[in-house]
Amino acid sequence: MDELRAAIAIGKKDLIVLSRYRIAVVSQIFTPLYQGVIPAFLFGASFAVAGRVVGLDATVGTDNLAGFIFLGGVIAGLVAVSFWSMGMGMRNEMDAGTLEPTWLTPTRHETIVIGRALGGLVWFLLSQVVLFGIGIFAFGLRFDIGILAAVPALVVAIVGMVGVAYLLAGVVLLIRDANFFVDTTNFLFSTASGTAFPVTLLPTVLQPIALLLPTTYAMDLLRQHAIGARPTFDPALEYLGLFATTALLYPLGRWAFARAERSMRIRGTLGQY
Amino acid sequence: MSMLAGDLRAFLAAGQKELRILRRYPLNFIGGLFWSALLPAVYVLMGRAYSGGNDPRALSAFAERAGTTEVAAFVFIGFAMYMWLSSVLWGPGSALRREQIQGSLEATFLSPVSRLVPLFGPGVSALIPMLFSFAVTFVSLWLMFGFVPPLGAAIPVVVVVAVALPAMYAIGSLFAAGVLKYGEIGPVVQIVRGTFVLACGITFPVAMLPAWAQAGAAALPPTYIVSDIRAVVLRGAPLADIGADLLTIVGLTAVIALAAIASFRLLEASARRTGMLGRY
Amino acid sequence: MTAPAVEARGLVKEFEKGRRTIWQRLRREPDRRTKFRAVDGIDLTVETGEIFGLLGPNGAGKTTTMRMISTLLEPTEGSIRVLGIDVAREPRQVRARLGAMLSGERSLYWKLTARENLEYFAALYHVPPKETKERVERSLAAVKLSDRSDDYVERYSTGMRQRLALARALLPDPPLIILDEPTVGLDPQASRDLRDRVRELRAQGRTILLTTHYMEEADQLCDRVAIIDHGRIVALDSPAALKRTIRAEEIVRLDIGVAGDGAAIVERLSRAGTVARSERHNGTLSVTVHCASARDLVPAAFDAAHAAGATVQHVEVVPVTLEDVFLALTGRGLRE
Repeated sequence: MDELRAAIAIGKKDLIVLSRYRIAVVSQIFTPLYQGVIPAFLFGASFAVAGRVVGLDATVGTDNLAGFIFLGGVIAGLVAVSFWSMGMGMRNEMDAGTLEPTWLTPTRHETIVIGRALGGLVWFLLSQVVLFGIGIFAFGLRFDIGILAAVPALVVAIVGMVGVAYLLAGVVLLIRDANFFVDTTNFLFSTASGTAFPVTLLPTVLQPIALLLPTTYAMDLLRQHAIGARPTFDPALEYLGLFATTALLYPLGRWAFARAERSMRIRGTLGQY
Repeated sequence: MSMLAGDLRAFLAAGQKELRILRRYPLNFIGGLFWSALLPAVYVLMGRAYSGGNDPRALSAFAERAGTTEVAAFVFIGFAMYMWLSSVLWGPGSALRREQIQGSLEATFLSPVSRLVPLFGPGVSALIPMLFSFAVTFVSLWLMFGFVPPLGAAIPVVVVVAVALPAMYAIGSLFAAGVLKYGEIGPVVQIVRGTFVLACGITFPVAMLPAWAQAGAAALPPTYIVSDIRAVVLRGAPLADIGADLLTIVGLTAVIALAAIASFRLLEASARRTGMLGRY
Repeated sequence: MTAPAVEARGLVKEFEKGRRTIWQRLRREPDRRTKFRAVDGIDLTVETGEIFGLLGPNGAGKTTTMRMISTLLEPTEGSIRVLGIDVAREPRQVRARLGAMLSGERSLYWKLTARENLEYFAALYHVPPKETKERVERSLAAVKLSDRSDDYVERYSTGMRQRLALARALLPDPPLIILDEPTVGLDPQASRDLRDRVRELRAQGRTILLTTHYMEEADQLCDRVAIIDHGRIVALDSPAALKRTIRAEEIVRLDIGVAGDGAAIVERLSRAGTVARSERHNGTLSVTVHCASARDLVPAAFDAAHAAGATVQHVEVVPVTLEDVFLALTGRGLRE
C-alpha cells in the first residue's frame, strides 16, 4: 500500500509540474500534430487517386489514411512516454538534483519508474483524446467500435514498455549524452514498431528486430481491430509474440535498472550533474 | 584599422568562435549523420506504403502534384532543406540567446564593433553543417535507394544554393533577434521549423496545401529553394526556367534581412531603456 | 542501553579516477584508471541525542562518509550500523528512520509550492495519509516557513530553500538527522537561524550528524567533533577538549616586515612559544605562535624584530579555535 501511494504521488507530482509549464503542455500536443501527423497525412494524400489512397489499400487492406496515421500516433505516443517520461525523466531528475532526496526515502527505487509511468500514461491518454478529437473534426478520422477489442493488447504492451523504461532508465543514469541516446533510440524503436509504415517494408535484415518489440504486435492488432487493416501475421501468433516479448522485456528491464542503480552506489554518481 | 576593416575582422572572428563551439560537440555531427539519412528514409518507406509499392496509378497521382515520380529523391531533397533550416535555427539562430544567457552579449555590446556583427557573424558557422548534411543526404539517397543525381544538375544546384545562402542567413538572423526577445529557444525552434515544414513543401508537395496556405508559402524563401533544387535535379530544368524564382528569393532575402536588422535595433533600444540585455 | 545512533567500523571508500569507455572494454584494453581513497579507514560512533560534527576542508571525505551512512554510496570496506540496523543489509529500514539534507536547495521541485513538495515527500517517506497534513504543518512550523508555504519554491531565497530541505528531512519524524554542509551559501543571519533550528531538534531528543568546513559552526553547535583530513579522522572529542590539546592559552598572529628570510625572528619566537606556522610573502613574514600568555610573547616579538632590523606591522591576539587545532594536526588551514 505504501509503495502504491508513493507511486501515485510521483505520478501526481509529474502532472502538476507539467501543468505549470503551459507552453510545454501545448507543445506536447501540437508538436506531434504539425511535425508528424499533418506532414504524413498530406504526403499520403498526395498519392490519392479520385480521393482514395489506393496504394495504402493495396499495402494494408484499407484506404483509411487518417486512421492509419492516427493509430500509428497512439503507439508512437506510448513509445515516447516510455522513453522520455519514464526513462529520460529519471535522468532529468538526477540532473536537477531531485533524484537524490527521492532515493533517500524508504520508497523502493523501482517504484519511482512505476510512478513516472502512471503520470506519463495519464498524460498520454489525455493527449490522445485531444489528438483524436482534432483527427475526427479536421482530418475525417474514423474507426470501428472494434477498437475496444485492442485494449487488452495495449495494456500488455504498456507493461512491456514499462520494462523498456526500466532498461532505459538504467542506461541514461550511467551515460553522459543521454539526450541524444534517447532521441535516436526513441525514433528507431517507434519506426521498427510499424508506426509510420508496416514492418514488412523494413529492410529484411531489420525485420527480426521488429519482432522483438511488443509494440509491433500491439500496433498491428490495433489497426486490425480499429480500421480493419489486414493482419501482418496470424493474429493468434501476434498475441503470443506480444506476451512473449513483454515477459522477456519486463524482467530484463528490472535487472538492468538494478545493475545501474548498484553501479551508481559504487561509483557515487547520483549527486553529479 | 578602419571601422569597416575592423568590423569585417570581428565578423570572421564571430563565425570562427561559433565553429569552435560546434567542434566541441562532436555528437552534433553524429546526430547530423543519423538524422540526415534516417528521417528521409522513413518517409520514403511511408511513400512505398501509400503508393502500394509504386502502384502506377498512385505514382502518377503523386507526379501530378509533385512534378516527379522519383519519390525518394523528392523526399531526400526536402529533408536536406529541413536539416539546413535546423542548423540555421539552432546554430546562428540561438547564438545570440546563448550569449545573452552566458552574459557575453553585454560584453560584445561594450566593444566598438558594429551591432550587426553579433547578429550576422555566427551565420558563417552554419556553412559547415549545411555542407555536411547535404553530402550525407545525397550519399544516403544513392546508397539506400539507388538514385544518382544527373551530372548536368551540378552547376544549377550550386547556383540555387549560392542564391539561397543569404536567404537562409537572413532567416537565421531574424530568428536570432526574435529569440532574444521571446526567451526559450527550444519551443520556438520547434514552432518555427514546424511552420516551414508545413508551408514549404519539404515533406509533401505544396499543391496539397489549401490556397491560403500556398499564398503564405509563397512568401518564404525555402519554398522556392526546395522547389528549384527539385526542378533541376529531378526534371533537368535549365537555369532560365527557375530565373524568376531566384529573383524572388533575392527580393525576399532583402526584406528578411532588413526585418532582422530592424528587430535587432528595436531590441537594442529597448534594452538600453530597460537593462534587459543582461537579463534573460 | 540504547544502541548508538551511528556506528561505523573500518570504513573505506575507493573511487576510480579516469574513464574507461565502452570501446576500451570491448577491446579488453588494460584498465589504466587509478584508484583514489576518499575515505581511508574511519571508525566513528555517534551517541543518541548528541550533535556530532565532521569538520574538515573540501575534499576531506566528509560528504563521502555521509553518503555511505545514508545508504546512497556503497563502502569499499567496513560496516555501518544506523540505530542498530545494518546499512548494507537493510537500507530501506535505515532510510525510514533517517532524515537527510544532502544537497540543500537543489533538491526541491521549483514548480511546486513548499507544501506540495512536503506532501509529495511525505508519501515517499510512507507517512500515513491521516498524519500527512499534521506532519507537513509541523515541519513547516519547525523551520518557520508556515507563512510562505503556498509560494512556489522558485520564489524562495537560498536560505528559505535550505530550511525547506530541512523541513523535508523532518517529515519521517526521524530519530537521526544527517545534514551535509547545511549553512553553505547562506548569509550570516540565515546561518544563525538554521543553527537555532538544529539546536531545537537536539532539544527534542533527536541525534544530529552534520558536516561543515566552518570551524565556528562546529565549535558553537557540536557536542563532539571529528576532524577529518584526507579521508581519516585525525582527532575526535568535544570542541573544548580539542582546543585544550593546543598547549596554549592564546594564539598570537604577527605580520613582520623583513628584508631577509626572518629565520632569526622565528627562532627567537620559538623560545617564547610554539611557532605553529610561518610564511614569507612579498617581504612580510606572517607567523602564528601558540603561547601561555600574549603579554610575554608580544614584547619578545618586538625585541626580536628590532634586533633583526625588521618592523612589526600587525599583531592579533585570538583565543584558540578549532582552526588552530586543525593546523596543529595537519600543518594546513581549514580554508586552504
